[in-house]
Amino acid sequence: MPPSGLPTPLLELREVTVPGRAADRLAGVSLQLRSGERVALLGASGAGKSTLLAVANGLVAPASGAVLWEGAPPARSRRLRQRQRARIGTLWQDLRLIEELTVQQNLNAARLAEWGWPKALLNLLQPLDTAANSAVLREVDLDPALLPQSVTALSGGQRQRLAIARLLRQQPTLLLADEPLAHLDPRLAAELLALLLRQATAPRALLLSLHRPDLVGGFDRVLALRAGRLVLDTPPAAVDPALIQALYGAGPSPWPDEPR
Amino acid sequence: MSSLFRRPLLRLRERSTAVLAGLALALFPAVLPPSQPGAAPLIPGAEAQQKLLRISAIPDQKPETLNRLYPLLANELSRSLGVPVKYVPVTDYTAAVSAFRRGDLDLVWFGALTGVQARLQKPGAKVIAQRDIDGSFHSLFIANTVSGLKPIRNQKGLSELKGKRFTFGSESSTSGRLMPQYFLGQAGVTLQDFAGGAPGFSSSHDATIALVQSGAYQAGVVNEEVWQSSLLSGKTDPRKVIVIWRTPGYPNYHWLAQPDLDQRFGKGFTAKLQGSFLNLRANNPKQADILELFGAKRFIPAPVAQYDAIEKVGREIGKIR
Amino acid sequence: MTPVVTAPRPGHCPWPFQPPAAPLLMLLPALVLLPLAALLPGLVHGGGWELIGQFAAAALTPSLDPVLLGAAFTGLGVTVGIALLGWALSLALGLVGGVLSSRTIWRTLLAEAWPAELIRRFLAVPRSIHELLWGLLFLQLVGLQPAVAVLAIAIPYAALVARVVGDLLDALPTAPLDALRNAGAGAPGALLTALGPALLPGAFSYGGYRLECALRSATLLGVFGLGGLGTELRLTLQSLQFHELWTGLWLLLAVMLLLEGSLRLLRRRWGMPGRFGLDARGVGRSGRELLLALLALLPVLVLVARALGVNPASLLVWQALPPFLPNWPVVLALPWGSMVGTTVLLTLLAAALAVGGAPLLLLFVAPWPWGRLLLQGLWALGRLWPPPLTALLLLFVLKPGLVTAALALAFHNLGVLGRLLLEAADSAAEGPAAGGAELALRCAGCGPRLALLYGRFSGLARSYLAYGAYRADVILRETVVVGLVGAAGLGTLLLEALSSFAVDQLLALVAVYAALTLVGEDLSDRARRRLLAS
Repeated sequence: MPPSGLPTPLLELREVTVPGRAADRLAGVSLQLRSGERVALLGASGAGKSTLLAVANGLVAPASGAVLWEGAPPARSRRLRQRQRARIGTLWQDLRLIEELTVQQNLNAARLAEWGWPKALLNLLQPLDTAANSAVLREVDLDPALLPQSVTALSGGQRQRLAIARLLRQQPTLLLADEPLAHLDPRLAAELLALLLRQATAPRALLLSLHRPDLVGGFDRVLALRAGRLVLDTPPAAVDPALIQALYGAGPSPWPDEPR
Repeated sequence: MSSLFRRPLLRLRERSTAVLAGLALALFPAVLPPSQPGAAPLIPGAEAQQKLLRISAIPDQKPETLNRLYPLLANELSRSLGVPVKYVPVTDYTAAVSAFRRGDLDLVWFGALTGVQARLQKPGAKVIAQRDIDGSFHSLFIANTVSGLKPIRNQKGLSELKGKRFTFGSESSTSGRLMPQYFLGQAGVTLQDFAGGAPGFSSSHDATIALVQSGAYQAGVVNEEVWQSSLLSGKTDPRKVIVIWRTPGYPNYHWLAQPDLDQRFGKGFTAKLQGSFLNLRANNPKQADILELFGAKRFIPAPVAQYDAIEKVGREIGKIR
Repeated sequence: MTPVVTAPRPGHCPWPFQPPAAPLLMLLPALVLLPLAALLPGLVHGGGWELIGQFAAAALTPSLDPVLLGAAFTGLGVTVGIALLGWALSLALGLVGGVLSSRTIWRTLLAEAWPAELIRRFLAVPRSIHELLWGLLFLQLVGLQPAVAVLAIAIPYAALVARVVGDLLDALPTAPLDALRNAGAGAPGALLTALGPALLPGAFSYGGYRLECALRSATLLGVFGLGGLGTELRLTLQSLQFHELWTGLWLLLAVMLLLEGSLRLLRRRWGMPGRFGLDARGVGRSGRELLLALLALLPVLVLVARALGVNPASLLVWQALPPFLPNWPVVLALPWGSMVGTTVLLTLLAAALAVGGAPLLLLFVAPWPWGRLLLQGLWALGRLWPPPLTALLLLFVLKPGLVTAALALAFHNLGVLGRLLLEAADSAAEGPAAGGAELALRCAGCGPRLALLYGRFSGLARSYLAYGAYRADVILRETVVVGLVGAAGLGTLLLEALSSFAVDQLLALVAVYAALTLVGEDLSDRARRRLLAS
């Protein structure tokens, strides 16, 4: 239990271990993410960032340790589990928009967890909840006139923003993002990051994995993984070139508990 | 995240299984014994059959009945004629007629209608013999007791069958379709009058009885002979299926032979063949078995003229062109 | 009262209607279930529920009588043999026909494409006639022998293969060919080098699929007395010997699943594209192994042909059709309009049921714990049972007629469509974007069915419906096989004409059928092109 006075963390990992083929992909990782926190996750490729995010959104169940959302473990009943998942929003690197549907239908797809069949089917026939959808589009600086457009007609930047709008439309409390800025040009990356940081205010929290240490400035905390272990939990100001070298470099690890 | 969710592919096992399974499958037919005579439902080609008398019958009854009866007959004919005789099963009435036309069958036990069809397609074919009962054969209209159908007194009463689920036997059966349809027509019942706008065709008399008894059809029509043997064997439950009308008599089954048997087997062969049938006697134990299985006291000559009426009905109903 | 002018409410949709979105399109054909549900109570007579029960119960206790098993094995061997030979012959003929109907080939050789067009038109005719009709026709001409069934399968299949191979060839990029020609290579050599290897994956994937079809066709031909296990299936069904019937059905199921499974593995192993979207070219692998397998097939084919007693020479001895005096006024007076109408209606009903039924069932049943397995079993049975057998079974509880025939056809095609849909859906779950939008939706708390509908059906809809259009074309051809169930259009009359030896009617019916299927093929092609274009 969290100490009294502090609110329940939105996400808590306790000694999470995920075995991999050669070495553990995650080894005894513990962390807490509280409402309003915006956390960047650093680490070299293969350090375990994706696995950690997969554990955080429930895709991967840890072999040992526990994962808690708002203080609760994964629910047994399907209905409760779905409700739990509805509060976790994931921004996918490949966006995973539904290409055959319109912008509006894609946004509404984020509400399917709440909607019953009639509304879900109606959404495929006529525009629903235009006001709410227009509002989220404006929040990500997209023109609501795009609503009836097919997703395939959007530009790359528009698609990124749409994916974020869909995330907001889901109304999750925990926002997870796995390298959302990879493959983006620097300007767009900076814009989208700013957008995400702006949205991730209390009661929400954001956990975002990054491969660019230069972008951690706007976050509240920076975590770092090396070879499946959480080796760092500092304010962004503490991220300096030496630390980056230690994280990404090929040399011996400066962190003593790392297995050789 | 992609690599986390990719399925493992079982490459190695996949490979050997595929190769093995493919081989097994391809070789399966090859390892079978080369075309078993009798068991294979395929008729051997016309070549190299000069000295083999191939007999067959329209499949109007259960295959087991036919498979028991005809090999017995083939043995007896082989003995009395001095030539090898082989029974070749066929799958339906039409196939029997076609095979006869092509000369793939030498001697066939036809119904009246199929016999007329076969003679029209093979001019010169010879009617060899019929059973004592075939000069005046009867069909029985039968009904499931649940249907509410009651025995009827005269032919007009057949109109009771309108709106009922009704099944014939085979499309080309004389006793299971042609004559019953003729009598139905006289009573003002057409095929469209049955439930669903069409009658069923069960394919054989045994099947008709089973279907009517089960209730799948409310009524049907069968050959009297098959009905009686089915009653005797206890297969038919008289509480579930009853006879509602017996048709007037008409000529039916007969043996039909190819016109060229004398050329192939020697002068006088056709006459000898006819003699073999006419001389089957109940006091010879082997022949008695055959006669009993055929449901006949003896075979008698069949006057060709008696089928003129059948041909006329066949043309009226459209089964003969 | 003062009139109030209603201002447009904020959020009110500014664009009034849109066509149903992709995933709904896929379910749209299933709407046919509504009128069907209204009609069905009037069609059920229920007289034979007991028989249906006995039939189902007998599945667990098939007869193991050694004599019967022996006969079933022999019959199965004949069926598999016929399928194998018919298939091999159709591939050989089809490859030649395909090359001859390729525009690219003619353009390279003669600088003219018109012979290709001509051959294409010509090949449409054998394709338009169902293998059963070919079989019955040959039966009349050359008598009952194994070669008849082989040829009956080979002819329409060859025309189909030719069309697909021709299309594949013409869809190949011509740049390598042009390069070789410019470099001075001779036309035949350049064609072989540039197009041969590129053609293989698509052609062989399709060829393997044809073998599965050939097995089904051979069984069906047997049902109509053309040899093999089908004959026994029909006889045992009609004499209500369900235990014996199931012996044959289980054996056939085992062979069918074995064949499908090994072909699937081979396709994967040789890196060939799935059945959906024939124009998608996979990267062929293990070319040498593939050719070796083909070479190994040749002696096997010879052995099979000998075991079956197939004698090609006997096909040359033709016998005239039954003598007949053509009575054309009578033929003309047949109720053509209503027969064609019934046939078209039967096709549409069966196609809608099959095309709409597969995704609907997948949507509702697949998320159950055993749902997938249940569906796979149901669909395997559907593919296994020749439609006429299903129809006869349905007659135990349904009145004869259009709907009964449509249900029988739909069940069979549902088996085919359902399996392909499931395979396509599964392959969408592999690869780098594993799970795609469906997984994303599940992670956002969406239920499994809605996630399937939105996330997976969206991507599958167009190619699935395109395949459905092709299937409708197949169903139109297949309507002939359910003629057994009275009042089912042209097929019913055709069987009646056959048993009456009414050759004039028979020829007219075959001609009308061919014309109808040619129109159907054209319509289905247009529908497919439209679906795949956007």
